[in-house]
Amino acid sequence: MSKNVIVAKDLTLAYKPNVPIIKESSFKIRSGEFVFVTGPSGSGKSTLMKSFYGELRPQSGILQIGGVMMQDIKPSKLAFLRKYLGIIFQDYKLIKDWTVKKNVMLPLLIAGYSKEVCDSQTARLLKHVHLQDKGDYYPLELSGGEQQRVAMARALAHNPVIILADEPTGNLDEYSSRVIWRLLEGANEQLGTTVVVMTHSIPPNLEVPYRHYYIEEGKVYEIA
Amino acid sequence: MKSLKNHISLIIPLFAILFAVEFYLIVDRLIASYETKLSNDYSIIVVAQKPLTLEELRVVDPEITALKQIDATLIINRLKQNSLNLDYDELQGLLPSFYRLYLSSFPSTQKLQELKEQLLKVEGISRVETFTKTHQRIYNFLLFIKSISKLFLAIIFVTSAMLVFKQIEVWNLEHQERMYIMALFGAPLWMRNAILVKLSIIDTTISTLLVYGFYSYMVSSGSLMRLLGVEDLTIDQAQIAGDMLWLFGIGLMISMINIIIVASRQYKMATT
Repeated sequence: MSKNVIVAKDLTLAYKPNVPIIKESSFKIRSGEFVFVTGPSGSGKSTLMKSFYGELRPQSGILQIGGVMMQDIKPSKLAFLRKYLGIIFQDYKLIKDWTVKKNVMLPLLIAGYSKEVCDSQTARLLKHVHLQDKGDYYPLELSGGEQQRVAMARALAHNPVIILADEPTGNLDEYSSRVIWRLLEGANEQLGTTVVVMTHSIPPNLEVPYRHYYIEEGKVYEIA
Repeated sequence: MKSLKNHISLIIPLFAILFAVEFYLIVDRLIASYETKLSNDYSIIVVAQKPLTLEELRVVDPEITALKQIDATLIINRLKQNSLNLDYDELQGLLPSFYRLYLSSFPSTQKLQELKEQLLKVEGISRVETFTKTHQRIYNFLLFIKSISKLFLAIIFVTSAMLVFKQIEVWNLEHQERMYIMALFGAPLWMRNAILVKLSIIDTTISTLLVYGFYSYMVSSGSLMRLLGVEDLTIDQAQIAGDMLWLFGIGLMISMINIIIVASRQYKMATT
């Protein structure tokens, strides 16, 4: 039986005291699972994701990511934990004055890989996302779909244990969306990476088995 | 253009600090060189009724390094030039002994006065003459410049260090997005701030070169000596070049301290 990589127990998340966004919710995500968290706008999907990568600390309850308690995590430990996460944002969060290549390379540089490894891994990933000819471009020279594919390549670069994606295909064209979903499925199926996607709607024709959580009025429910 | 402005904002305060440090070093060196020059030129004339030895005078002041008797015939010859009707042979027999004293360093007026009083207490010494006024004026001026430059250095240092800190904070804000994204992927604090270190090294190098260029020109053209009224003194160009390593180190240290303060603020923010 695979172990739990994300555990929440009576988790409450809030930006202001006494104004909870997520209220006393409990759930578990096991290693290698593909999980969707859906809900209407403003339901708390992004808030929940922020707590997963440590930008927001739980107000109460327990949140464990990869066995690490997130309540009182120290910055050095958080930095260490994040090396095992691949994060994809709706607004891409690419470094604008770095080339596409360097953006993709970022997690590898942080992990301390040699230049040769960084170069070959980056070239391979750019080919995967069909951007092999755009390595020397800057993010603002690319379309939204292309930028998100760069963000996808960056998230996969260091073979993370968990991929967290917040509305990864929110504003994308059909082609880019297809590429993103195929890559997420591939990472889950072939590498056993746990994938957690926050989205409005689950894409049709998904080939991997998945679990589905739904957020309503601050509570996280599992949908069978 | 914005990037150039950002660089200039750090280069100017760093230049001011390094300029003030180098100015202080140069004035200090000029004073030392002037003191050496004066101690070579300088002499105290002692008139004694009996022969003196260096040993007995060194008991009075160990800084006395040499004692030279002035040949009495020189004095007689000078008197002869005035065509006075005197018996010069008899006069030579009656003349006391004249000595010139040499000191190891240039004495202050106070020290000289004390030495004069002590020498007059020595048996046989009837008179002590010192010639300091012309030297003393320039020496005092150099000492004044040195104390002014010390004050100038302190003021420049404090204000410029604050400007450096502000500029590094501006950089921190400019690179905040990049640092934030790097942090999301687990970059350690040093890696996030590497850009600030890089910019600091570039700007410290530029500031050091500008200071070197300025002083190198001022010294080689003699403008600095003319400005300070010590045209007969020289400064070794190699010493200025040697100073640049120190100045680069000082500039870099100031920048690094400021980066550490900014980084520790980031750390504090991340932990709260």
